[in-house]
Amino acid sequence: MSGMENDGIATRRSFLKSGAILAAPLGLAVPGAALAADDRAMRLARLEDEAAIRALHRDWLVRVNGRSVTADLCVSARAAACLGDEICGIIQDEDGVVEITANGERASGYYPCRIETESRMAAENTFAQMALAQGGGVTRTSEPRLLSVEYAKIADRWVIATVEAGTA
Amino acid sequence: MPAKPDPQTPMYRVAYTRLSDVQIGAALAKVAKAGPACASPLSGDLAGKSIRIVTDKGPTLDYKFASDRQLGVSEDGGNAVSAGYGLLLQDHISLIAHLIPGTMRGYASVIDNRSGIATLFELWFGGYADKREVSREIYGGYVAVAGKPEPQRRHKASNRAEGKGFYWKQDTGFESLEYYPSAAYSHFVELTHSGNEMGYCAPSDYLRIDDDYYIYTRVECEFSGTLTLYVMDLNRQQQIGLRLGFDRLDALDYYLFRGKGEWLGQIAQFEKFGDTAGNVIPPPDNAKKGERRVYRPLQTMPRMSRAEVDKAVAEHRRVFASRTGAGSGASGMATNGVPPVEALACREFTLRYDDGPAIDYRVKDAETLSWRMAGGAWTEARYQAWESMPGVILFGHLLDGMPNHDGHMIVADFDAGLATCFNGTLKGPYFANEACARTLFGVVVGQGVPAPGTLRHQRTREMLGRALTWNYAPGLTSMHLYSTPQTVSWIIFTDSGAGGMAWSGPGDFVKIRDGLYFCYWLEDACNGTLGTILINMRTMHDAGIGYHCGMEGLSMSQIGAHGRHAGKYDVTRFFAGREG
Repeated sequence: MSGMENDGIATRRSFLKSGAILAAPLGLAVPGAALAADDRAMRLARLEDEAAIRALHRDWLVRVNGRSVTADLCVSARAAACLGDEICGIIQDEDGVVEITANGERASGYYPCRIETESRMAAENTFAQMALAQGGGVTRTSEPRLLSVEYAKIADRWVIATVEAGTA
Repeated sequence: MPAKPDPQTPMYRVAYTRLSDVQIGAALAKVAKAGPACASPLSGDLAGKSIRIVTDKGPTLDYKFASDRQLGVSEDGGNAVSAGYGLLLQDHISLIAHLIPGTMRGYASVIDNRSGIATLFELWFGGYADKREVSREIYGGYVAVAGKPEPQRRHKASNRAEGKGFYWKQDTGFESLEYYPSAAYSHFVELTHSGNEMGYCAPSDYLRIDDDYYIYTRVECEFSGTLTLYVMDLNRQQQIGLRLGFDRLDALDYYLFRGKGEWLGQIAQFEKFGDTAGNVIPPPDNAKKGERRVYRPLQTMPRMSRAEVDKAVAEHRRVFASRTGAGSGASGMATNGVPPVEALACREFTLRYDDGPAIDYRVKDAETLSWRMAGGAWTEARYQAWESMPGVILFGHLLDGMPNHDGHMIVADFDAGLATCFNGTLKGPYFANEACARTLFGVVVGQGVPAPGTLRHQRTREMLGRALTWNYAPGLTSMHLYSTPQTVSWIIFTDSGAGGMAWSGPGDFVKIRDGLYFCYWLEDACNGTLGTILINMRTMHDAGIGYHCGMEGLSMSQIGAHGRHAGKYDVTRFFAGREG
């Protein structure tokens, strides 16, 4: 079975199995003479799509780290909030992989990263109440995760459909 | 709340009078012109001189010292006012204190006469809702000398005094133990006048003058509101200081003092190496002058009547539930706990306490037991047990049907035939939902359990003076300080690992085996929880049980944390002759 679905959204499993191989064609230099004109157009479109998705992702990262994700980057307000309030930062040192479906309407992004979470402890005992009273009581964690993002192209514009932070 | 202001009444039980502006002003008026009292001779070094103290973010004060007791002071170029003052010198450090007549304000200045660096403390009454509480604002500055450049350094808030402890004896004869386990709070034990061996906590300032000298303050918030401010010389173990405030009988203390000390020791600090910052607790948002974060537990503790307690307990009893809800005492304090064991399952035994009941047990499984008292009917109860050391079991359960809603937290040593029970009840005279505790010593009677004869677990001083950190869960770490034979203080760390807010309550300490101690603390006038822990000093892990009643009902919760030994203050000699 191919790692990429024909017309659906590529799964995280498919990425893990063969993401590196699938990603490679977008970056390979192929002699122009070997490509038909429509192939070139399609390839150009896919490169433009990938560039747009990566720009969207960068924008989204800036907003997550600024704690100001807005629905205009996403298909809905629900999608904008799907990561959870406890995530306060995402540090991404690698580019990750972007896969675009054959029909060019959906895409998936897989980004190894470190996710920082911040949660305020419940005031359910005296010590926690005192920690909160002194301006603390916030637990922070940072752990390696794999960010899986699904994209949809709506009215010629890429937006985020879902975001999942899975085990790296 | 009973208002017996006798010396043995714990500070948190005293109903301090809410003094009015008029009462405070009248008391200050009597002493403002004369200046502070002092049992030691005051210095006349400034008589006939003038100095100007310039501060960075506060007032400039111009002083003219007419004599060794009278000065004139002008604030920011305003009209000079006359006041009584006192000056004490300690080597090259001066402490000047005076009030501003006709106001509820005054100043204390600490001057390093070698460098000219000065720290000015503006002091006033009425800055908090309870007007007897002294407020302070601290201004860094210097003594301006014509033709001499302004010193660049300032006395600096620092954590370098953190972890130290002193016994102090003032020239008034007043003796105290003063622990500095936090960079924002301190813990003090009045050895004179009290007789109840209790220690208390207060928000504090620590400013470093140099490696030898530190400025310390505390305001006894939630108690008398009195300010204590002194400069301590760590090496010579001497202090010069000021005390300003109203005591529990509403008499005004306004005096300078000298004191001599004894070093009690140094416990560990937990900030990163290189971090010497003070002011470790951030000020509240939009803080007013002098405002800081102060732990005021009575403001958040729900106070319930006996009828409310009975109703809450009847409706909700949660024993070792995974979560018991906000405010439910020790809930959330067992992420790092040891797992419960089945060691008691299928056992039958009797716990016979010397000054308490004899209770028969039939244990069904790891979570269910039945108990009966004096041959009465069997009652089933949920319990959990932990084996902190082979053969030593900690377990706890509620005693349904008892009028005071008893909970038993028991350590049973099946190898020695000994048992100790911390018996929690809800029958206190102050708040009906405040736990009380008594310690019961007894024996385990059962098949295969040796008979210990007259041997019993004993109260111990082996924990006295120790400080242990407890990491209950990520982000939730406290430090216990066992400051007296019957006090447990708890200090909450800031995110940087500095000691932050602190509070304290009554405690008890029982030795179970070498390296194994059963302790409790009571959160008197502070949530009302009874916390019990069995401390294993070898594994540095505790197992414990919290017993708590609030609006959400009565709960018994697991406590468990990873420990670190922060050190031990040498204080046993101050409690000699009162062993056990």
